[in-house]
Amino acid sequence: MNDLHGIIFAYRQNPDLRELAQRRNTCSIPYGGRYRLVDFALSNLVNAGVSDVGLIVHTSYQSLLDHVGSGKDWDLSRKHGGLRILPPFGFSGKHQSGHYRGRMDALAGVYSYLQNIRQDHVVLTSGDLAANLPIAEAFEQHLQSGADITALCTPVSQADPRMTNYFTLDSGGAVTDILVSPPVPKGDTSLETYILSKALLLNLVDRCAAHDIPSFSQGVLLAARGRLKLRGYRFDGYAARIQSVADYFQRSMELLDPQVRASLFRPGRPIKTKDQSNPSTYYGPEARSANSLISDGCIIEGTVVNSILSRGVRVEKGARVENCILMQRTSIQSDAVLRYAITDKNVRVCPGRMLMGHGTYPLVIAKNEIV
Amino acid sequence: MLLAGGQGSRLMALTRKVAKPAVPFGGKYRIIDFPLSNCVNSGIDTVGVLTQYQPLELNAYIGNGQPWDLDRSDGGVHILPPYVQEGDKGTWYKGTANAIYQNLSFLEQYDPEYVLILSGDHIYKMDYSEMLLHHRQTKAACTISVMEVPMAEASRFGIMNVDENDRIYEFEEKPKKPRSNLASMGIYIFTWSKLREYLIADEADEKSANDFGKNIIPAMLDAGETMSAYRFSGYWKDVGTIDSLWDANMDMLSADGGFNLYDPDWPIYARAAAQPPHFTGANAEITHSIVTSGCGIYGKVENSVLFHSVTVEEGAQVRYSILMPGTVVKAGAVVEYTIVAERGSIGAGAHVGSAPTGGEDWGITVVAQEVRVGSGSLVPAKAMVTRNVKGVKI
Repeated sequence: MNDLHGIIFAYRQNPDLRELAQRRNTCSIPYGGRYRLVDFALSNLVNAGVSDVGLIVHTSYQSLLDHVGSGKDWDLSRKHGGLRILPPFGFSGKHQSGHYRGRMDALAGVYSYLQNIRQDHVVLTSGDLAANLPIAEAFEQHLQSGADITALCTPVSQADPRMTNYFTLDSGGAVTDILVSPPVPKGDTSLETYILSKALLLNLVDRCAAHDIPSFSQGVLLAARGRLKLRGYRFDGYAARIQSVADYFQRSMELLDPQVRASLFRPGRPIKTKDQSNPSTYYGPEARSANSLISDGCIIEGTVVNSILSRGVRVEKGARVENCILMQRTSIQSDAVLRYAITDKNVRVCPGRMLMGHGTYPLVIAKNEIV
Repeated sequence: MLLAGGQGSRLMALTRKVAKPAVPFGGKYRIIDFPLSNCVNSGIDTVGVLTQYQPLELNAYIGNGQPWDLDRSDGGVHILPPYVQEGDKGTWYKGTANAIYQNLSFLEQYDPEYVLILSGDHIYKMDYSEMLLHHRQTKAACTISVMEVPMAEASRFGIMNVDENDRIYEFEEKPKKPRSNLASMGIYIFTWSKLREYLIADEADEKSANDFGKNIIPAMLDAGETMSAYRFSGYWKDVGTIDSLWDANMDMLSADGGFNLYDPDWPIYARAAAQPPHFTGANAEITHSIVTSGCGIYGKVENSVLFHSVTVEEGAQVRYSILMPGTVVKAGAVVEYTIVAERGSIGAGAHVGSAPTGGEDWGITVVAQEVRVGSGSLVPAKAMVTRNVKGVKI
């Protein structure tokens, strides 16, 4: 048994994702055609040999539960351990707002679960991060370096600095400075993935609960300076945190770049997702598809350019789809034209309709809508 | 009980390393997915898969049966290979009936009312529960699924002669002068007690070929058992030869051809590879074809079936072909009327296969598993490539 336990934070509501997160948790947003964001966190853990994973959820988690099920698609349906979904059972935080105010609040909410963790080490990761992380290597480095906390970070700058943490690393990899949601970024961007011992984690949760500090950034990162040995593990591959619709659109479209795909989809560390038994995708006699990522089970009889299609999408004859993201079972009927649009699950665009957004403000059509 | 031990020798190079039921089919599937999915969709939750020839890949593919919801604590899917029995009495499966006979103790464990016997080499959708209903209503000892075939072709099949109530009174294996056009589809439902009785009697007969069609069915007819024909209409194809395998794959390209893979009411399940969606390059041209996850298409693909993780490089052309998982077609190569087995590689500028000429010597070209066809080389129609072909300098 691997000595590492996985905790995935999947409780956050994100209003910046507008219609996409209206009826679902950020972590179950479809991404890259056939995936949901949480597939990356789950696969990263499984690929590192982690056998026990706790998934912390709070509200709107029906779609997430539907997706992960028993965890069998990630080989996490086990007799002992495996995937455990952690809703806010008996959560009576000091703050009665009903929501977790931060990650330390969330960890306090599942305290009895944390106490029963079988492994000596824990990796905390975020369910809204699309990246193929070498967690096994980071864990190895963590053990060898004797660090109290190892933080995974990337030199590539990410989205909005006001929602991101930054680390300054010295040449040996030790963290010398930490910026929490700064106005101007400096140093490596945190991938919000941390490795630490179970004992330290419990200690930190206790400490934050006692001082009523709900936030991990405040209660752990800032408080750690000078007290704990904090080290960085620099990851050079592709990483995308999805925090707004514009982010979502831009980060999705980056997948059309073969280098991004090569970094995200590695043969040795496959990203697994829920199996739906779709047939292959069919292209009709007049179909055209260029620079696009197309999932299984689609029927394409029209034109698709610079787009990403989820499973079971239909593009009828004469229809034209450019720079779009079409989620599961979207149906674009004959001669309709879509540009810079994101259609959520089961959307139907009737014959001849024209819908256009813009690269910086893509049009989002909510789940089950008929245009 | 699914008979999956046959070699399928008429598929030649395609079954060198795998049993016929494990041969990839229709973009996402293997042949055995069709009878297995039919079982599950018909509400059958206990399935024995009888294996013998090259079972490794088939065993690994079926695994615990999870993709078909057959990973159950009561019932589920069981792989049944031949085994050594007390006093070294075990043998290979001598025939279809002997294979079931050797697994009588498996059946006795479950002690069913009825037993459905299937073969793993046909592509079709069928609700076996309706056939079972027919079997019970007619109080038959055995029900055989039949379909009408053109009279001219009837002499190629096992033909059932039936009375006005579809009760079978005679069975003729490949008759020269057929008197009916009802062909057996190799799908039988037996009342378990009867099946057991006839299997034991058949095994005692040393002259028997231990085959359902040749021995068990005639013996039951001779004894006057109630034998009923269950009429099936719809898509059904035997994929036992290179030509029929190619044909049936091409049928998957049009739902009008009678087989709709996209029907949500009768899904065909498969063990899927964890591959990202397929990518179409800026100059890709894909028409009337099916493409599966993990593919990268930069060239031209027409009227073809592409399994997962196939690469078609820029300037390459693929026409009327079947490219099994992991095939790579390098830049400028042309592949037509060809079946390329798993992980085959077609070198740059090579030309494999050719369009039909109408001549006797024309046929589908086959490139066997993991074979590399060197760049610039020419592989003619009907060739069966089982070794690497050297490239030529262009």
